Amino acid sequence: MIRLILCLFLVCWSGLSLAEDNVVNVYGWSSDMSNEIIQAFEKETGIKVNHSGYSSNEELYAKLRAIGPGSYDVIEPSSYYVSRMIAQNMLEPIDVTKLKNYKNIDPEFLHPSYDPKGVHAIPYFWGVTGIFVNRKYYPDLKITRWTDLWQPQYKNQLFMLDDPRELFSIALITLGYSPNDSNREHIKQAYERLRLLSANIKLYNSSAVVSIVGDEDATLGIMWNGNFYSAAAYNKNLEFIFPEDGFVIWVDNFAIPKGAEHKENAYKFIDFLLKAETAKAMSLNNSEAITNTAGRKLLPPELRDSKVIYPSDEILKRGIYQEDINDAALADYANYWEKLKLQ
Amino acid sequence: MKYDSHFRYFSLTLIWAWLGIFALLAFLLVLGVSFLDHTQAHIVIPRLTFTNYQFLFQPMLLKIFGKSFSIAATVTFFCLIIGYPFAYFLSQLDRHYKSLLMLFLIIPFWTSSLVRSYAIMAILKTKGLLNLLLLTLGIIHQPMQLLFTNVAVIIGLVYNLLPFMVLPLYANFERLDRRLLEAAEDLGAGRFIKVYKILLPLTKPGIYAGVMMVFLPSMTLFYIPDLLGGARSLLLGNLIENQFLFANNWPVGSAVSVILTAVMGGMLFIYWRATQRHERQQVLL
Repeated sequence: MIRLILCLFLVCWSGLSLAEDNVVNVYGWSSDMSNEIIQAFEKETGIKVNHSGYSSNEELYAKLRAIGPGSYDVIEPSSYYVSRMIAQNMLEPIDVTKLKNYKNIDPEFLHPSYDPKGVHAIPYFWGVTGIFVNRKYYPDLKITRWTDLWQPQYKNQLFMLDDPRELFSIALITLGYSPNDSNREHIKQAYERLRLLSANIKLYNSSAVVSIVGDEDATLGIMWNGNFYSAAAYNKNLEFIFPEDGFVIWVDNFAIPKGAEHKENAYKFIDFLLKAETAKAMSLNNSEAITNTAGRKLLPPELRDSKVIYPSDEILKRGIYQEDINDAALADYANYWEKLKLQ
Repeated sequence: MKYDSHFRYFSLTLIWAWLGIFALLAFLLVLGVSFLDHTQAHIVIPRLTFTNYQFLFQPMLLKIFGKSFSIAATVTFFCLIIGYPFAYFLSQLDRHYKSLLMLFLIIPFWTSSLVRSYAIMAILKTKGLLNLLLLTLGIIHQPMQLLFTNVAVIIGLVYNLLPFMVLPLYANFERLDRRLLEAAEDLGAGRFIKVYKILLPLTKPGIYAGVMMVFLPSMTLFYIPDLLGGARSLLLGNLIENQFLFANNWPVGSAVSVILTAVMGGMLFIYWRATQRHERQQVLL
């Protein structure tokens, strides 16, 4: 019933947006776009932005599959979903000559392994998943690796992201496998590892991380570095740890889905986002690292030179880029994840 | 006259149609689906199976059932020991204050219970109002970590469900014949005897009604453990939510709902029996 209502609603809504020609329909991470940025774009180009948000890649993927092509002009998938969408022919190839500001992107991020043939996605934000600890509660705690989280002394204390991919990555790393492993036997072993961890888990959450950690309702756990920076801005007891046994690096990209109705406007919107000034505003909004070299130069020094947001090359050597896993592995994830949450 | 009977037929038909479609039909659909199978591509396929109920008899899920029952029992207990004296004193006040206090009890209902649960979050947080108050008064020296625990879930549920306990009890106290208490006093009954022999037996229907109206919702208000509870604060309602929304397993979700409905049916039966006996006793008196 709810689905039916939603569908009807969407039909009406897309009907309305068809009536207006000069628009761009953007579907991105909820926290990534501020009203100021949207208004600045509308003022500069006269194109109206319809922005809606999601809180997981799974949500974006399910919605795109459910409503078919044409509803959105710009989306913001993470790296591993970019390769999934390319494989299923869901993304338009991007003509970079139409993007004047494409040159602002750090060449290190261009032509990544998740988008090898041509350009389907514009890398924009990036970050890592690590461990946070509140020193007020754990003044002398020595914690350097993911394996440390399994110690029985942390019973019912850990904060976890509500994200199967992140949790399985941790377990796979501690087992010595790659977080991009699709081997079903390895994933089963990772599940057994996570079952042992579950007694230590206090809470799963991905949507209110900054306030939960900043207000000390959780004092030890795993976190994205951008969220950490926002929380640490008002809580000085927080420390971020890049685990020594390795960690995941993710990249969020802007892309144009197949069959987008306002492709020209989509190019204009992405080009606007790639401007140094806009990239700076985007980064200040969510404190995440940007691939935009010119934009980074404009950032205030505390964010630009933050060792948490832009870790040294030596630390980054331990990072592993997140890539797609196959469908069988994905089904295993879903199945095991459900069992874990019920424990 | 004619108009009146038309209106009566219309409203009766409306009520029956409403109940038939949105209660009976909906329940029959749930009951039917709970015996059907599903595949990855289809939410439900028409193949008869009992595996959904078998699926429920695994230790992991039985544990959730047990935990859910014990949380609901705790919530009901606290609602009763707070709500009973509350309703009694409310019924003792004079008319003017009575309606005012009643209004205060009802007013929070004008706000969404979701919003009120967020308010409870703000109170129970580590840096929230409760900890601030206790720290300032010097009662505690370390902030308590209350949010995202079962204690927070119980506080949230008791707060949300207390009026459902108070209202039937209040109605019961209102109807109570005060002369019985006076007579007991004249005959030399002490305070304890008065409560135990007169008040409690006579308010049994109210207690049963209140317990029912608190016990069942406290197992199904899934958003309260979602907001206030931690990783292991799962109620039956969360299990149903999980099966429908995330596991895409409608048949198992339906089977859990059917079991909940069966529990409610059993409780209604006990309630019916209890009030019948009570009424018989009253007739005899």
